Amino acid sequence: MLKTVLKQLKSHPALIPLFIFIGGGATMSMLYLGRLALKNPDCSWDRKNNPEPWNKIGPNDQYKLFAVNMDYSKLKKDRPDF
Amino acid sequence: MAHPAQMGFQDAATPVMEELLHFHDHALMIVYLISTMVFYIIVAMVTTELTNKYILDSQEIEIMWTALPAIILVLIAMPSIRVLYLMDEINDPHLTIKAMGHQWYWSYEYTDYENLTFDSYMTPTQDLTPGQFRLLETDHRMVVPTDAPIRVLVSAEDVLHSWAVPSLGVKMDAVPGRLNQTAFIASRAGVFYGQCSEICGANHSFMPIVVEAVPLEHFEIWTAMMMEDV
Repeated sequence: MLKTVLKQLKSHPALIPLFIFIGGGATMSMLYLGRLALKNPDCSWDRKNNPEPWNKIGPNDQYKLFAVNMDYSKLKKDRPDF
Repeated sequence: MAHPAQMGFQDAATPVMEELLHFHDHALMIVYLISTMVFYIIVAMVTTELTNKYILDSQEIEIMWTALPAIILVLIAMPSIRVLYLMDEINDPHLTIKAMGHQWYWSYEYTDYENLTFDSYMTPTQDLTPGQFRLLETDHRMVVPTDAPIRVLVSAEDVLHSWAVPSLGVKMDAVPGRLNQTAFIASRAGVFYGQCSEICGANHSFMPIVVEAVPLEHFEIWTAMMMEDV
């Protein structure tokens, strides 16, 4: 399968940017989905060992991919300790 | 508020709305450029007398019209993602206000320090004084201090509503039984109008929202006055 594709690529080099952009886009989406699945505190995968991950985020944690204008480590923590 | 024959957004009153405006300018300019180019190509194709019956393919042009649109899309996506994450940032609010949607009015609760609650009904058209805006004015405005991050918790007491103020770049659905959070910083003093943005019955078009941003001293005078009246 791959050999056929590579042979066709030699006579149609216009397909190379297509592979790069579609492949790159698909990879980035899958990586982001993976990050969401594993690191998002909203969902619990392991009900025995980690039943409620949303209760474990500290007040200074940044759980989104990136912060544009906010330094979360400097955020005040003004809620009572348990 | 919107003015007649308005084509673009209302003037921004918060930094987030400014960013949205600038992103819209950027994306719209790209859209105009692409549309102009496509229209020009169509006209050129239709009006030419040249013909070539033997073109089969061309690798170079195919590379161009794969790579260039992909790059353009990335150039649109980067500011878009930036604005998206900016809108979601949690910014240590100074004040929390609860906006509750009812059929067919909004009620606002300022319960951080005192128990200030009031309803906000639309001013009927026959009761308008000269200079007031039809279907947009209310009897009580939601007053907020300028330059302070304000958190608004939006919910509803009966059916779905939506609390929207375009100048502030804010729209959040009011769902009964659910608490939705949105936030804004009013960067200038002013009066900002919005309307309920989720169909909620007969008077859905007649439950507007008016936010009045004033400097902090005036906000404190207003809260003192409201507490006396209520």
